[in-house]
Amino acid sequence: MEEMKYPIVDGAESFEALLERVRAAERKFASYSQEEVDKIFKAAAVAANRARIPLAKMAVEETGMGVVEDKVIKNHFASEYIYNAYRDAKTCGVIEEDKAYGIKKIAEPVGVIAAVIPTTNPTSTAIFKTLVSLKTRNGIIISPHPRAKKSTIAAAKLVLEAAVAAGAPEDIIGWIDVPSLELTNTLMREADLILATGGPGMVNAAYSSGTPAVGVGAGNTPAIITESADLTLAVNSIIHSKTFDNGMICASEQSCIALDGVYDKVKAEFAARGCYFLSPEETDKVRKVIIVNGTVNAKIVGQKAHRIAELAGVSVPESTKILIGEVESVELAEAFAHEKLSPVLAMYRAKSFEDAVQKAERLIADGGFGHTSSIYINELVEPENLKEFYSRMKTCRVLVNTPASQGGIGDLYNFKLTPSLTLGCGSWGGNSVSENVSVKHLVNIKTVAERRENMLWFRAPDKVYFKKGCLPVALDELGKVLGKKKAFIVTDSFLYKAGYTKPITDKLDELGITHTTFYNVEPDPTLRCAKEGAKLMASFEPDVIIAFGGGSAMDAGKIMWVLYEHPDADFADMAMRFSDIRKRIYTFPHMGDKAYFVAISTSAGTGSEVTPFAVITDEESGVKYPLADYELLPDMAIIDADMHMTAPKGLTAASGIDAVTHALEAYASMMATDYTDGLALRALKVIFEYLPRAYDNGLTDAVAREKMASAATLAGMAFANAFLGVCHSMAHKLGAFHHIAHGIANALLIDEVLRFNAAEVPTKMGTFPQYDHPHTLARYAEIADYLGLGGKDDSEKLENLIKAIDELKERVGIKKTIADYGVTEEAFLSTLDEMTENAFDDQCTGANPRYPLMSELKQMYLNAYYGKHTEV
Amino acid sequence: MVIIAERPRKTVYRDGDRCIKTFDASFSKADILNEALNQARVEETGLNIPRLRGVTTIDGRWAIEYDFIEGKTLAQLMEENPDKLDEYLNDFIDLQLKMHAERCPSLGKLKDKMARKLKEADLDDTTRYDLEMRLNGLPTHAKLCHGDFNPSNIIVRPDGEMFIIDWSHATQGNASADAARTYLLFYLAEKFDLAEKYLDKFCFKSHTAKPYVQKWMPIVAASQSVKGNPEEREFLLSWASVVEY
Repeated sequence: MEEMKYPIVDGAESFEALLERVRAAERKFASYSQEEVDKIFKAAAVAANRARIPLAKMAVEETGMGVVEDKVIKNHFASEYIYNAYRDAKTCGVIEEDKAYGIKKIAEPVGVIAAVIPTTNPTSTAIFKTLVSLKTRNGIIISPHPRAKKSTIAAAKLVLEAAVAAGAPEDIIGWIDVPSLELTNTLMREADLILATGGPGMVNAAYSSGTPAVGVGAGNTPAIITESADLTLAVNSIIHSKTFDNGMICASEQSCIALDGVYDKVKAEFAARGCYFLSPEETDKVRKVIIVNGTVNAKIVGQKAHRIAELAGVSVPESTKILIGEVESVELAEAFAHEKLSPVLAMYRAKSFEDAVQKAERLIADGGFGHTSSIYINELVEPENLKEFYSRMKTCRVLVNTPASQGGIGDLYNFKLTPSLTLGCGSWGGNSVSENVSVKHLVNIKTVAERRENMLWFRAPDKVYFKKGCLPVALDELGKVLGKKKAFIVTDSFLYKAGYTKPITDKLDELGITHTTFYNVEPDPTLRCAKEGAKLMASFEPDVIIAFGGGSAMDAGKIMWVLYEHPDADFADMAMRFSDIRKRIYTFPHMGDKAYFVAISTSAGTGSEVTPFAVITDEESGVKYPLADYELLPDMAIIDADMHMTAPKGLTAASGIDAVTHALEAYASMMATDYTDGLALRALKVIFEYLPRAYDNGLTDAVAREKMASAATLAGMAFANAFLGVCHSMAHKLGAFHHIAHGIANALLIDEVLRFNAAEVPTKMGTFPQYDHPHTLARYAEIADYLGLGGKDDSEKLENLIKAIDELKERVGIKKTIADYGVTEEAFLSTLDEMTENAFDDQCTGANPRYPLMSELKQMYLNAYYGKHTEV
Repeated sequence: MVIIAERPRKTVYRDGDRCIKTFDASFSKADILNEALNQARVEETGLNIPRLRGVTTIDGRWAIEYDFIEGKTLAQLMEENPDKLDEYLNDFIDLQLKMHAERCPSLGKLKDKMARKLKEADLDDTTRYDLEMRLNGLPTHAKLCHGDFNPSNIIVRPDGEMFIIDWSHATQGNASADAARTYLLFYLAEKFDLAEKYLDKFCFKSHTAKPYVQKWMPIVAASQSVKGNPEEREFLLSWASVVEY
């Protein structure tokens, strides 16, 4: 009957039939629910637990190795502890879900597991591997060792029958009855995952089979006993571990390294507890019998100390627990330095802790890479030595004050080390797993990731004060509310010499705030200038900085602020390009600990009073550092048209057009939001209406000046949050290479960029979740509609928008091409490739809705140079 | 024709500048032809070996004809000049390493041969399984291996040139297996000190770690047990009965 139920597997044909049965069972099992699986897992664990004694007896009887009572513990561990560890573990279907993030993790079985089972722990390993396979809905085929095949198969059959009785598919567990290298290799090749336990040959075969393998290898655990250790605990723990199942657990101690100061006491305790110290002659005899040509003699594995002594021709008491050889060499030539799989222990005297660690390192390197190391130490007395030990051991388990056999398998002498009878040895041991192998290694985890959009924000200075004539009122707050005592004013020499700072200084005097003014800011401020200002700040120690002027003065003020607050800041780090401001590598230092920052604009364009940006040029290397971080947002922005009245025509035109491009790029940006759209549209509308008036009658038309001041700040707030695009990327480099004013450079490129971004079939679109398809043409049409430009469809609206921009540019005296600004063709073409690459790498490129190819940027430059549009 | 050597199933004669090895009827024809073929293949490497002159039958017995190499075997020399033992051992190892540097891609594979021998050997299931698993995990190389490299298979001409004879066990494979075999042969000849000295020197000269050679010893010992010699069997099995875990 038995043969009928479980056909004998002894060759290729019967193996293939078995594999087919197990595969069919595994496919059926894959649809079981967690509840059904847990019921089966429990029933199987209970059955294995009940059979722990007969299985232990059978294993010892069959293999002639080990101790029945200890194998009972191992069987108990493999059933009870493993059940307990995974009773509530989710292993089927959705095991983790985060609805907000749209992430689901789904566990699926791997299929058929090949389980190679060693002779040393046949029944417990079979119980362990079959139980974890059942818990994970896998089929499993066991390849037992010839020496232990009966007991291994008995354990597997018992678990199978209990599982099937509880509802598992028939044939979910299978085994090879007549093990051979060929069948083991076939099994490993055809399975979906290998759980290999065995020697290096086995593990090697597993890894070279082409099937993913979780393999483990040899251990050669050294146990150091330091001077602070509890010696009684240490020695008795080692005896307890080393005698367990006659030393067959692979984590078991192979050598004891006692520090010189405690060596004799350790020795006395071992002797007092029934261990036998071999004389030098006896040591030599035992050497010959334990290791043959560098490998463990099969005859001694799992035998009692007395039996091994007998084989070596040494007479010891019958009750001897461990044979101890006091040896010196940790080299492989010393038989005692090997893994011995028996109650035979090497003992070393270490001159110092360093000597002990070196010995342990060597023992591990030669025979136990990746497995387990052990130390007995008072961690409160010698914390540094403990750290030194665990730092230097190339083992995946470092056990402290713990019997290694019981400690390594987890959950007996420690309670967070995964209980397992398959101990990963990491890459050191040629393994793919460095932990104790658990159910998580037997499932495939699918992650279902739904599309989500980034959180966005709107950030602006704490205080934005505006209205013609508001300056003194706003400054009142510095003294009366904020209690500032010392102000540092940053401005340019023109504004200072023409007396434009006087209203500020008068007010500060009135408030009793002492002040000083730095008025050396040049256009395109340099690092040298910023350092100079910061040096003055360092000695003046202001608690408020007032940047007064256009973009240059405000940017210079921001940089001086950074240098004042963080003198060691590295601009190269701060200017490092980022792809997402939230994920940038560099963390910008916190600002405002020393001084409050006030920005007062004197022209309508840059928006720097409300932006988190500043650009500084290193005059020595010529490198421009564009800094971007919300730490750079001014604390207070003051927009008072009185400060704008005298701005010259050219500046009014250039900065006005700059503001137009700020609004256009912020509106087209992938990061544009309803919050920034409103600002951008309103800014455009105001500029189109008032820029000509401010340009024509700047000195007298206070309404136009005030409208323009507001529009520039609105556009600033839009791009402070939505960022810019390739028009600014290209304008930055055009300005730097050919000394064209920033606003003009933008004006020359904006038409090209609008057409480029409007493409409905762009070469590449930008990468940002909320920008889900190329739709910039429609966005530009919205602007045209808002400006009332008309057009029968989006394309016509775009053309009308471009026409309106061209008219505005012409109206305020801006020329049409780069060539018109005196850049020679030769100079332009010779710098074109470098400009192109630098523009591509500009921080502004990242938010552009169309991701540019460098060749496309280059063509836009050429178009803008010659004023002839070639489709990009 | 003068008899120059007699083995249980072979007789070697000298006939002028030729050496003729005859096999008794119990020998497999295929093995004899294979030996001749091995010889011919190794000849192509240019190593100093006797050239194959022919394969024939003499009085119904198969025979292989080679060049006769004038001289004494290295084993004889070692016996006669014990004071020069170290020098001979050096030459012996250098010659073996020179051979290992050669490639002979048409020869049989060492691991295949070992696997066959493990199947033929009278081993218990456990030992066979462990040894097969061990062999399976050992690296596959393609160095020219002699398979019976010992001083009695080296002929030293009066001018000092050394010739390697008897290529019946030649394969391509792992040099460490070849060295393990040589070590075992010294051991079986009860030249224990020489065996250790050989292994140390071989490892030193070839930059090989000793355990790497030792890994082959249980396999080499088990395969040697196939050759019979009942008194050696127990010893060979004690070498073969080891576990890796």
